[in-house]
Amino acid sequence: MIKLQNVYKTYYLGEEKVEALKKANLNIKKGEYVGILGPSGSGKSTLMHIIGLLDKPSSGKINLFGKDISRLSDDAISSLRNQKVGFVFQQFNLIEKFTVLENIILPAQYAKYELDFDPQKRAMKLLKRFGIYERANFHPNEISGGQQQRTAIVRSLIMKPDLILADEPTGNIDTKTGDEIMELLEGLNKEFGVTVVIVTHEPDVAERTKRKIYVKDGEIVTRL
Amino acid sequence: MRYFIFQIKNSIEDFKRNKTRTLLASLGIMIGVLSVVMLIALGIGLKNYIKGQFENMGTNLIMVMPGSGFESGFNAGAFTSSISLDERDVNSLRRISDATYVVPVFFKSAVIESEGEEEFGYVMGINEEFFEVMNASAEYGSILTKSEVQGRSKNVVLGYSLADKLYSDPSLAVGKTIRFNNQRFKVIGVIEKKGDNELDGSVVMSYRTTYGSINPDKTFWSIYVGVNDEDKIESVKLQAEEALARRYDKDDFSVSEQDELLEVVNQIFNMVNGVLIAIGSISLVVGGIGIMNIMYANVTERTKEIGIRRAIGATRGDIMAQFLTESVLLSGFGGVMGLLVSALIVVLVHPYFPIALNFFAVVLAIGISTLIGVFFGVFPARRASSLTPIEAIRYE
Repeated sequence: MIKLQNVYKTYYLGEEKVEALKKANLNIKKGEYVGILGPSGSGKSTLMHIIGLLDKPSSGKINLFGKDISRLSDDAISSLRNQKVGFVFQQFNLIEKFTVLENIILPAQYAKYELDFDPQKRAMKLLKRFGIYERANFHPNEISGGQQQRTAIVRSLIMKPDLILADEPTGNIDTKTGDEIMELLEGLNKEFGVTVVIVTHEPDVAERTKRKIYVKDGEIVTRL
Repeated sequence: MRYFIFQIKNSIEDFKRNKTRTLLASLGIMIGVLSVVMLIALGIGLKNYIKGQFENMGTNLIMVMPGSGFESGFNAGAFTSSISLDERDVNSLRRISDATYVVPVFFKSAVIESEGEEEFGYVMGINEEFFEVMNASAEYGSILTKSEVQGRSKNVVLGYSLADKLYSDPSLAVGKTIRFNNQRFKVIGVIEKKGDNELDGSVVMSYRTTYGSINPDKTFWSIYVGVNDEDKIESVKLQAEEALARRYDKDDFSVSEQDELLEVVNQIFNMVNGVLIAIGSISLVVGGIGIMNIMYANVTERTKEIGIRRAIGATRGDIMAQFLTESVLLSGFGGVMGLLVSALIVVLVHPYFPIALNFFAVVLAIGISTLIGVFFGVFPARRASSLTPIEAIRYE
């Protein structure tokens, strides 16, 4: 489902050339539960952004859901993000002026085709399931970090994605809530067969993933 | 449609959070639209006003004037001329059989004094036919008779506003004595209000009475020729030209119908209107730049939001549409507000001055303000959509 071949990502900080990703080769199959591990600044987030089509590689080939990404237009890539990928960020990245419910159904507003479900109903169902139903009409700054992260997870699920990418999903919440979030992600993988990729530097979180990919100094390595 | 509503809801949500900023941004457009619409309304008002003045003169009027007049277009030198019209010309015009009335018109500004009050006004020297041609009758007292005109009578008739200014009540004017040029005249009547500044502000007397210290050269400013039969206007006009051409060079005088004068006035006002609209448009552009400025700030402030929207699947087009919708709504709102305020002003001022809104002004205002929204919104919107999602999300 995810295939990276010789992917490089280079950018410049002023005069300095930074190689965030070097010759990355990777293959993740449908239904896998993968952890991307590495110290901070190792390039693991860059790797996730490239997999999630949030960023473009400097060179190399990416094949996602059977499509050669370099051949796709920006609109097609946006549409792939919309339909097939769900993101969970360390900073939650909810839109503050919208309520929990409005945040959750926002991806559905950008769908360019007729949806086979009612986003409102689906959102309410998911909110119930994730225990934040009562918070549907609250704004993100009125609920706890754990509840915000659940909201973000529900948002990532609204479009029935094939792939969930989580970037340090427990980084900004306490350990107990973090465990709950991890259980949620595990459950998604087990029950629905959603491919889950988690970027983390926390050993506890890494422990729970089935397959581990190590990144060090921009390179994918067998072990740290 | 659902998408359209979604974008508009998005914008309104944002306006609610930034009420002051929204209002200030629209204010620029509002003032721009207000000035364009009001300037057009004023132009129309002026035109109506002048037209009204013309209509007060009796219809079927031919004016003979020294100089090339209005015919060769309107230029500053039109009224300066070597020739002066006099009684000989009046007599030769009288020989035209279809010319029902021939009125010599002497016209001069003067300071008029009565009972210790001094007022600025005009002196008009005419004959008794003048009242027929101008469709003017007496409000109080009587108008001048033929014998008064022929007998160089010192009786005069006052225009309504002059009588009003000199005496607390125009009806009190009859029987009073007025003075100017060291001569005394007796007021025998007041003409009804005509809406013509000159006539309403004049002392009207026999043209023969002006001979002497007031009009030593015995010349006239113009000669009015009234024609009863509308079909005969053209032929009278030609005959008048012929008659005068025997004495003067063709370029030294002009014979024009009221319609032609109106046309010239229209031409002038179309030009004036154009200039006014151009001036108003400058403020519209300034308002547009204000919107652009706000939208740029908006885009910068909301870069992270843009990134989040992109991450969950918004295309560049979606982001463009979002910011364009906002700027169009902002300027459209300003435009409608400007229009409403203009309408209010027009309603308030209309009783005093015939200004008016026209369809063209309304369409122009709404159209231009929307266009400005699109034009000045495109640049910030393009910037908003050009970042990669991750660049935008990380922007602080």
